Amino acid sequence: MSTVQPLDLAAGASGTALPGRRRRFRGLPYGLLLPAVAVIIVALGYPLVRQVWLSFHEFGLKQQFGQPAEWVGLANYVELATDPYLWEVLGRSVLFCLVNAAVTLGLGLFIALVMQAMSAGVRIATQAALLLAWAMPVLAVLTVWQWMFDTTYGVVNWALTALGGDFSGHSWLIEPLSFFGIATLIIVWMSVPFVAFTVYAGLTQVSTDAIEAAMLDGAGTLARVRHIMLPAIKPVLAVVGLLQIVWDLRVFTQIYVLQRAGGTASDTNLLGTYVYRLGIGEGSFGMAAAVAMFLLAVTIVLTSPYLVTMFRQED
Amino acid sequence: MKIRTGLGLAVAGALALSACGQPAATTAPVPGATTTPAASAAAPANIRVWLNGTDTPQEARDFLKKTFEAQNAGSTLTIEEQQWTGLVDKLTTALSSDSQTPDVVEVGNTQAATFTTVGAFADVTADLAGWGGDDLLPGFVAAGSVDGKTFAVPYYAGSKAVFYRKDLFEKAGLTIPTTMAEFVDTAIKLKAANPDKTKNFSGFWFPGKDWRNAVAFIWDAGGDLATNTGGAWAGALSASGSQAGLATVQKLFTEASAAPKDGDEADTWTPFCEGQAGMISAPGWVRGLILSEENGCPDMEKNLGVFALPGSDGSSAPVLLGGSNIAVAAKSPNQELARKAVTIMLSTEYQTILAKAGLTPAKVSLASLLGDDESAKATIAAASNARLTPAAAGWASVEGAMILEDFMVNVAKGGDIAALAAEVDAKITDKLK
Repeated sequence: MSTVQPLDLAAGASGTALPGRRRRFRGLPYGLLLPAVAVIIVALGYPLVRQVWLSFHEFGLKQQFGQPAEWVGLANYVELATDPYLWEVLGRSVLFCLVNAAVTLGLGLFIALVMQAMSAGVRIATQAALLLAWAMPVLAVLTVWQWMFDTTYGVVNWALTALGGDFSGHSWLIEPLSFFGIATLIIVWMSVPFVAFTVYAGLTQVSTDAIEAAMLDGAGTLARVRHIMLPAIKPVLAVVGLLQIVWDLRVFTQIYVLQRAGGTASDTNLLGTYVYRLGIGEGSFGMAAAVAMFLLAVTIVLTSPYLVTMFRQED
Repeated sequence: MKIRTGLGLAVAGALALSACGQPAATTAPVPGATTTPAASAAAPANIRVWLNGTDTPQEARDFLKKTFEAQNAGSTLTIEEQQWTGLVDKLTTALSSDSQTPDVVEVGNTQAATFTTVGAFADVTADLAGWGGDDLLPGFVAAGSVDGKTFAVPYYAGSKAVFYRKDLFEKAGLTIPTTMAEFVDTAIKLKAANPDKTKNFSGFWFPGKDWRNAVAFIWDAGGDLATNTGGAWAGALSASGSQAGLATVQKLFTEASAAPKDGDEADTWTPFCEGQAGMISAPGWVRGLILSEENGCPDMEKNLGVFALPGSDGSSAPVLLGGSNIAVAAKSPNQELARKAVTIMLSTEYQTILAKAGLTPAKVSLASLLGDDESAKATIAAASNARLTPAAAGWASVEGAMILEDFMVNVAKGGDIAALAAEVDAKITDKLK
């Protein structure tokens, strides 16, 4: 994005500075757009084309070492579609994504609303805490969470045991449901700050006149939130919700790291880790590319209602 | 990847600089200049050797570089250190590139088959006799061979032995087991006795994902992970021998171990130093980690004993053979020079340096170089009956999909062995097709 903006500005500047000679420089705006378009084609287009190409070929380690790849048509897709495991992973991914996006959005919205009612000092402290959580490097965060829930030495097991429970040597990752609970905890913890800040920024733009008028008319807090604030920040919520769904659907790092810490990989694979295990782990690049196409399709399907609303709002 | 390559180059650069500091280099103002007449038929070049981790001691690296450059006037040799983690991914990309390929690579012995079958390594069958022939560790030559041709040769070996707490054995009135049955019995009794009353105490520390240790019990009982009948590989965990071995494994998981049922075998020295394990199974070099000031517990030395896992027949149990292979990259433009570097790495002088660092030499005749202390004896005994993972072309897929880790976790949880084995056999057979 940052590469596109200065070019747009440059195109605009040349247009306004030379109004009389615009005709002579008709090619210039297009010429200036060219580098940006080229960057997009190379950075986004090539991998996409390559992925589509791979998904139609039998491409393994042998092909990686120069043997010709065999065109197999839809064979990779057929094999995946008839493998119940893919549908299991797909269903798991969609469910995980929706739960995470909903919890993140709900919690983020709640924190943003509460931040409005806070005194300045408390609010700044809250914002600093949120910012720190948001700014932490993912792998550092995961290491800390992993240690906290460690089976043998974890502080969570220690605390729960000290409180009278029997959690000595309890593994939090061995059962898939518990595994995804921990994963959700970590992902929500990491994503809530972004939602809270964005929604809070949106809330500061809600007209105070409208809120005052509503208060005079006797509207309670809930009514003010429902009928004035939420409709006003709907576009913000739509964008944030869209991003959360995209992010939570292609989640990889958190699941991958937790799988290495414990649990069983086959019961906890989501689409992201499944693509990795097929491609890098097993060397079936063709199959991995086909799963990645499924991931792309699901992303489009899940986000299309949002996209439609957003485009409507822009008109 | 780029960052890693950069790091590798930086390390290589640092190595090259340090080499320039040696007096020998100062006499030749431009080392590696092409004006020097080549002593051999091959054109002078820079040979890039990839070594993994810090396993190869610095003394061996210096020896390799110095000897190679003395023998091949005009040519240089650069060692680039790679990480064990993610090595297969990196080799996959580097070995398939004409411009980026290293000339000589070290690869884990169980990873070798992944590359020998796809044409990533050069055929070195003709060089075998000159490198030691039948004296080379046979298991490693087998791991690097396909259809009678050899693509990778042994570099060093190292198998797991059992480290135990002498003091705890004494307090519990136990002695070193001499058969498999005695070992299982000792492990269970030690956990029950828990002489120091430690929390989460294991007689034998056995985390659930540790299939590399579990396979020794399967092999000892006459089973296997996969078998080849008439050219077709199939999972073999449902066979009666495997089932008997798995029953032993499950017994150890539930009655002798308090390790996490979904944990892996990394950092085995931590529970050992914490006093939470009476026995652990680990490679010989772990002794150094247990006794290190930084990570370990040096005061444990008087209590630290080692023995080779005993088999049912009273000799050493067939444990998984650990170690490295070495190969020449098929795409390397310097085939002849690369082979000369391998010749040095398999020389008696070079292998002696490795042996002094506790690595089992690549040649059977050099095994005595390891010394004769308790640790060396246990290492040699363990290696005497060591075996490899199935030599199937698709074996890397089985490991890549973490099929065995998942299976062992379910065994550790106390699942039905027969049902789980049937399920996992189908998965293994599917991957080995």
